[in-house]
Amino acid sequence: MTTNAGQATGGHAGGTPGGASGATVVLRNLSRSFGTTRALDGLTLRLAPGELVALLGPSGCGKTTALRIVAGFETADSGTVEVDGQDMSPVPAAKRDMGMVFQSYSLFPNMSAADNVSFGLRMRRLSSAERQRRAAGLLDMVGLAAQAKQYPHQLSGGQQQRVALARALAIEPRVLLLDEPLSALDAKVRLQLREQIRSLQQRLGTTALFVTHDQEEALSMADRVGVMHDGRLEQIATPDELYDRPATPFVAEFVGVMNRIPAGLLELLGASGLAADLTPHRERPGSAVDVLVRPEGLRIAASPTGNGIVVGRTFLGQLTRVSVRLSGDVVVQVDQQSTEAAGIALGDPVDVSLAGAPVMVTER
Amino acid sequence: MAAVTGTTLVEGATPPARRPRRGIRQFPVWRWAILVLVGSYFVIPLVAALRFTGFSTFPQVVHQEGFSAAFELSVRLAVITTVLTIALMLPTTVYVHLRLPRLRRLMEGVTILPIVIPPVVLIVGVLQVAPGFLKSTPYLLGLIYVVLAMPFAYRAFDAGLRALDLSTLVEAAQSLGAGWRSTLWRVMLPNLRTAMLSATVLTVALVLGEFTMASLDLYQTFPVWIVAFDQTSGPISVAASLLALFVTWVFLLAITMIGGRGSRRKGGAEVSLFSVSRQNTHPGGS
Repeated sequence: MTTNAGQATGGHAGGTPGGASGATVVLRNLSRSFGTTRALDGLTLRLAPGELVALLGPSGCGKTTALRIVAGFETADSGTVEVDGQDMSPVPAAKRDMGMVFQSYSLFPNMSAADNVSFGLRMRRLSSAERQRRAAGLLDMVGLAAQAKQYPHQLSGGQQQRVALARALAIEPRVLLLDEPLSALDAKVRLQLREQIRSLQQRLGTTALFVTHDQEEALSMADRVGVMHDGRLEQIATPDELYDRPATPFVAEFVGVMNRIPAGLLELLGASGLAADLTPHRERPGSAVDVLVRPEGLRIAASPTGNGIVVGRTFLGQLTRVSVRLSGDVVVQVDQQSTEAAGIALGDPVDVSLAGAPVMVTER
Repeated sequence: MAAVTGTTLVEGATPPARRPRRGIRQFPVWRWAILVLVGSYFVIPLVAALRFTGFSTFPQVVHQEGFSAAFELSVRLAVITTVLTIALMLPTTVYVHLRLPRLRRLMEGVTILPIVIPPVVLIVGVLQVAPGFLKSTPYLLGLIYVVLAMPFAYRAFDAGLRALDLSTLVEAAQSLGAGWRSTLWRVMLPNLRTAMLSATVLTVALVLGEFTMASLDLYQTFPVWIVAFDQTSGPISVAASLLALFVTWVFLLAITMIGGRGSRRKGGAEVSLFSVSRQNTHPGGS
């Protein structure tokens, strides 16, 4: 189990923290409304010790509200947050032992990097020597040992977020909360820091809840990803399961790129064998049915009598994403090996067909 | 508990880019013309006053009857007013920023009232509501000056708070285990040092130069003494005015320099009266 910094003061190489394993966190039926807006609607989620769970969703889906309730900055209208079986509702934010990295740069401007890192240790009344030793170890861990005496205004954005990460880890938190910590950084730094956060979290075994609207970040970092929509958790699963077997049309279309093809075009695509899959949907009167297919689930071949016209192409490296207009002005995107797509030009007639089973059949 | 070895992934610090200094060549002629014109407006009366009174008059000022008492009273009032203003306005402004941000516009309107309301109305109002034991002491003026300083102090604190992401800093401190007292003492106040300095400078300048209220309230503060002494000796009265201007200027310069030095060393913003420049940070980047 993870000890808090006030109780455990040493035993780690270089003064860095460590935890045998993180805490178990359970969010049970959390609801929160702001006026007439329901930000969270019965969110239930369990984080296993040492697990990194990402909450992914569009703006306003309730993911940040959930994180802030866990941190103690917001109060839930109903529901509970439990850490290792302890109900955290009556515990104020300052007593929760949760390290948090914020979206905006949150370092204290009046303190050096080392003082920022040791701030939480000072609050826990550790000795000055111990604070310095542990701050130095943590700054070394995030690669900023040389910047220990610099003030936030002397550090770049990426460096500031790394100091913020070291500061959050310094207190040996029971849970690490990350509120879109990479969104203010440029692409290259984001990638570096993403790997660093994941690497440190795995080494320390800290349970972490990560909030982001960037699906690439969520899918690449998290053990499991929870997709949220309108205050509800649509699905929580491993990244590959989320991509391959989405539970709802929202998840299917939010994660990755998805084509929505009217069922009426299936015969045109040579997929009349899917009739059995469509039957339950068609039995409802007045319902129009679509099939959801990923770009790699379609294939194209040049054909003068094809069922579509190429209207766009985007080079992605090994793959090229080709946009094809089908009958009824339906545009689909097809991923093709770049070597094969080289001979396909804008305006060419092509034959689009299903390469396998669609991800999902859904009513429109 | 697994030991963690250091991992150095990214390169060292990027020193902040220095803004190129503007040389004289980059300062166009028309700007010099405006500077000289506006400067003349202030300097010519000072030079004229200096010629009228002469340097030899200055040593006599401090020996005039009533000078010490009036000057001491003004300084005492400046200290009291500054302490009260900071004690009242700082928590109020912080509270509005943190908990009632929608009331900021209302606060701006309310705090401008002392400038809009005529001094006579203000002092009659204060005398109506002030407790009896205060009416017989000059410290009533301190309370009036707190009201008069409110527009300036509020704007100084408001500008300082706008330059900070206060709610994030407070939440960061709390997540690290800091209670409200520690958050206020170790995070908020050090980062509002520049704003407090601005409020102090403005309040002190206001108190040391205020005449109307003191005169209406029949207390002889330093500005009232200068006007009264003008009936006795013109040159000495003018010398006292110049001395007051110089002393106030030195006083404000000292406050600004002493307070600003530590703030700048730690990356604090430059002191300006109604705005505190946001600190230099590097968005993005490694």
